[in-house]
Amino acid sequence: MAAPDLGEPLAALLAACARGDQAAFSRLYRATAPKLFGVAVRILRREDWAEDVLQDCYVRIWDHARDYRAGLAAPMTWMTSIVRNRCLDWLRRPRLEVAGGDDTLLEAAASENPGPLEALERSGDAGAVARCLRALEARQRQAIVLAFQHGLTHAELAAHLREPLGTVKTWVRRGLQQLKRCLEGA
Amino acid sequence: MSWRDKPELRQRLAAEYALGTLRGRARERFRAWLREDAALARNVAEWEGRLFPLALAVPEMQPPKRVWTSIADRIFSGEERARGSIWNNLLLWRRVGLLASGAAAALLAVVAVLAPQSRQAAPELPASYLALLSDSKTQKPVLLVVGGRRSAELHVRTLDPAIHVAGRSLELWTLPKDGAPRSLGLVPRSEKSALRLAAAADQALGNVPALAVSLEPQGGSPTGLPTGPVLYTGPCVRYW
Repeated sequence: MAAPDLGEPLAALLAACARGDQAAFSRLYRATAPKLFGVAVRILRREDWAEDVLQDCYVRIWDHARDYRAGLAAPMTWMTSIVRNRCLDWLRRPRLEVAGGDDTLLEAAASENPGPLEALERSGDAGAVARCLRALEARQRQAIVLAFQHGLTHAELAAHLREPLGTVKTWVRRGLQQLKRCLEGA
Repeated sequence: MSWRDKPELRQRLAAEYALGTLRGRARERFRAWLREDAALARNVAEWEGRLFPLALAVPEMQPPKRVWTSIADRIFSGEERARGSIWNNLLLWRRVGLLASGAAAALLAVVAVLAPQSRQAAPELPASYLALLSDSKTQKPVLLVVGGRRSAELHVRTLDPAIHVAGRSLELWTLPKDGAPRSLGLVPRSEKSALRLAAAADQALGNVPALAVSLEPQGGSPTGLPTGPVLYTGPCVRYW
């Protein structure tokens, strides 16, 4: 499940981009775009919006490649955060067209148990997170996965999970605390 | 006592920011704080690292080819897009005007002045190279050179019209980290004008810590290298 390996570490490609190396940027795009597009489509639920967001994000990645700090985050984590942030900003715009969104994924996620985590547990780095997520109460886990992967707000979580807002907020808060404790103990 | 002095609250907000449940104006305010609070930014980065594996569980999707085409257009074509000419940016000129009127100032000071200081969104300048050339004797700034990094135009503003010498030309050079000076063209005699580059400024200035102006025969150096005295120099820095 890791990003496709084209034989070059992403950090080296980012460093080349910081020097203005356009060919390196093209390789970086090929290696990472399918993952980041998937992340954007999942949050925005509209492929046309995700295309716009992806464009903005790669221009931003090119412009800010020299700001990337390897000590602070892995390259894919850094780029994923740029995409997720842009998606969440995008969703702040007046939601005139949201009715066109594809809700089927979301409906599936709202009813599923640790399904999406199974693949994760088999992958090395992500294994600890997957194990710690599994250790959470089912509802806490569900709220966290929905919020992260689908970009749901507290209010949207409450609506989808059919629970009061305060309850959902508590699940999220406690789930995050326990996740951190579990990962630090791992 | 502000929330920012409370460690548990900082952790919680950093976590909810990374998760995405901190939204709306609260998210914007938090983002502004992140820019000035390195420890908080580190907390967020840690949380992003913890949660990142959840993104790996999202199925990949191949974006249509047009996405890359648009990105490449925006990045490599050299057009400045709809952001408007740098010269029309009043904010820039007001600030540069202030600076040039105060005597000698290093270009780094320009950058410090330009850096957004307020959390209110100031109009963002396009990613640009800036060079402020000064008289090495008097330290007086005489020439400002600005070019969008993806633009093939260098904008040149003469801060002191008295630099021009009748019957001679002033030629603008890059002083690359490695290698000989390369000509960017003659300094135009009008107060504001543009020099055309062969390619985007990224190519001409990407590896250039400084610019210089030399005094040359009318029409420029006949050799392709500076032949006359170097009169003005200054650092060339990135603004983005």
